[in-house]
Amino acid sequence: MAVSNTSSITLSANDRLVAGVFALLLGAFLVFGAGLANSAVLHDTAHDTRHSYGFPCH
Amino acid sequence: MIVRYLLAALVAGLFSGVLMTAAQEARVVPLILHAEEFEGGDEAAPAIEGTTPTTDGAAATQEHSSLGAMILDVASALSPVSVAYAHEGEDHEEGGIMFGMSRFSGTLLANLVTGTGFALLLAGFSLVSGNPITIANGALWGAAGWLAVHMLPAIGLPPELPGFPAADLTQRQIWWVATVALSAAGLYLLFLKPGIVAKVAGVVLLAAPQVYGAPQPSDISSNVPAVLGAEFAVAALATTLFFWIVLGLSLGFANEKIAKAA
Repeated sequence: MAVSNTSSITLSANDRLVAGVFALLLGAFLVFGAGLANSAVLHDTAHDTRHSYGFPCH
Repeated sequence: MIVRYLLAALVAGLFSGVLMTAAQEARVVPLILHAEEFEGGDEAAPAIEGTTPTTDGAAATQEHSSLGAMILDVASALSPVSVAYAHEGEDHEEGGIMFGMSRFSGTLLANLVTGTGFALLLAGFSLVSGNPITIANGALWGAAGWLAVHMLPAIGLPPELPGFPAADLTQRQIWWVATVALSAAGLYLLFLKPGIVAKVAGVVLLAAPQVYGAPQPSDISSNVPAVLGAEFAVAALATTLFFWIVLGLSLGFANEKIAKAA
């Protein structure tokens, strides 16, 4: 672990990239499912959320 | 250590999703419900009946009236049932709310998932770019996220109420995703990269999707009153700004309390 008291990122550069890319992929998957996916069930469940967030939706 | 950063994002996202649900119920959902009265009024019911027997080919030849275009978009991809939206939580053969939940539960679940998703995206952006999110700068990170995901895309595609006219769904989604990505990259260059070249490139990236232009509907007439649309656009942008500020702050807090407490 890189030692740093002033930064809140205390990971090594490599771990930081792994964590960051994983977070980006997982986050994109979740946002896609809730906001954009073409599924009637997902659409109806997330209907008010989709409109509120301004996702392009039906 | 990696897991702790993901955990921090998870906690911040769930927390923000809960608060966002409260904000939505107060300011946004009443407007959606009001608009659905107009959507389901004169035109919606016959239009849906018209497309139901011909779910595939024939539906595509229909004229693109404001409501018809919207219905066609959905009918081509999924069940036409979902246009009317399961109003009193009634179930249809394909649509309907997951697990038979109430409308509110569906919204809460969707907000939790969306909140966690945006939290992970924000955390991932911070980790990959090497700029930590703290309590001190969290609100600014949140504001930047709001700009990239909501404000800048809304210039081309304002938040829509049910029953609003809109262009082809796929084209709008492509433009939206591209605009979010370009805006995020542009804001990164503008705020986090030193040097005049980066600033100029950032402004170019921010402007590019707006200059290109979002797909617009050919017919903008709608049964939904304009005043509702104006109120909704402001309410949607205001509540999402609230969501992102909370998200940025809570992610900064979670980073310092959870991720650093190793």
